[in-house]
Amino acid sequence: MMEREAEHMANTVIGSSIVIDGEISGEEDLVVQGTVKGKISLKESLFVEGSGIVEADIQTQNVEVAGKVTGNINASQKVELKSDCRVVGDIRAPRILIADGASFKGNVDMDAKGR
Amino acid sequence: MAQSEQVGIIGKGIVIKGNLTGGGDLVIEGRVEGQIALKNHLTIESTGNVQADIEADELTINGEASGNIDASSKVAINASAKVAGDIKAPRVVIEDGAVFNGSIEMEVKLPEDV
Amino acid sequence: MATNKEMTGGAAGATVIGPTITINGKLSGDEDLTVRGRVEGEVTLTKTLFLEVSGVVKANVSVKNAVISGVVVGNVRATESVELTKEGRMVGDIAAPRVILVDGASFRGRIEMGDASVSRAAGDRVGRPARVSARPSAPPRPPPPPRAEARGMANSKSTVTPILSKIESKSPPVPPALAAGKRKVVVRKRER
Repeated sequence: MMEREAEHMANTVIGSSIVIDGEISGEEDLVVQGTVKGKISLKESLFVEGSGIVEADIQTQNVEVAGKVTGNINASQKVELKSDCRVVGDIRAPRILIADGASFKGNVDMDAKGR
Repeated sequence: MAQSEQVGIIGKGIVIKGNLTGGGDLVIEGRVEGQIALKNHLTIESTGNVQADIEADELTINGEASGNIDASSKVAINASAKVAGDIKAPRVVIEDGAVFNGSIEMEVKLPEDV
Repeated sequence: MATNKEMTGGAAGATVIGPTITINGKLSGDEDLTVRGRVEGEVTLTKTLFLEVSGVVKANVSVKNAVISGVVVGNVRATESVELTKEGRMVGDIAAPRVILVDGASFRGRIEMGDASVSRAAGDRVGRPARVSARPSAPPRPPPPPRAEARGMANSKSTVTPILSKIESKSPPVPPALAAGKRKVVVRKRER
């Protein structure tokens, strides 16, 4: 599967009026514009867009957050917090990018163990 | 299926109470109460009203039917039909506009992981 | 290359669950949902569920419309219509005023349409809710001609032909409010 770090082009999109209470797992990119509570476990990338609210532990390859995340993030490659995002939780990834304007509270572990 | 030479027609004003059996095709425009057992095609026209258990090879319903249906090939419930009962057939078609209340038993092949 | 049939970027009302995604839990929302992967639990939508051929829903579903081309194990309740296309397979109960089973669909369970007073008028006049036009990837509905079949069959017997024309003009009773806008029932042309 091609890795897509580009403009949030993905086959799976959780639209803004959708609320999911449960576990999501899969082997493709996921874009969240709505609300997810529970657990997210992907082999590819997770994009939490501006309207997205995630209250879940996240385990993926890459994570890009522009919305709200409350939960621990465990990424095998990279975590990117864009400006205007709000993240509360621990982040564990070999590469982390926190943009100016991002709001973050938690621990960071870049010990490159990833997953 | 074999298109039999004979087609029986039960006209609009006719009411039959009892058992109907036969090897030919049958078109019902009137009213039948009881039991129907056909080897071929039963058509219930839009003026037809059947209150019976039906056994046939193929069933085409444009009118009213109430009872259990056992078809060996196909049941077609068309848009003007009103059907109540349990249907057992390998193929069942319900057209937009039909009214159906009851159960349908077709063979459903599910994937192993469901 | 996996293409993006439903692009993101502000396209509200374009929720797609891709083929490798599994969701276990409760899903609810106010937009159309296309499922190509697997959803287990509960699905509640105020709009339309499109279950594509690769999709599996093992859940109780409560929606406005459902178009099922994949596998459903569970009960489906719809306020407008449920359609099983020719690849659709379902085990469970359906409760909806309009239910369509296309030739080739498999179904086992109960269907409750009630007296479906909605179904007669809406089905005859509209044919399809507007959603279909927005779904290029949904399988096109083949117009089932069981009527034509019966007609064709009967026509070969000359005695039956005149009776048929009489039957054609008889239409089911229509609630008076809708009768005004109603055309003849009989012509089964699907306007798309």
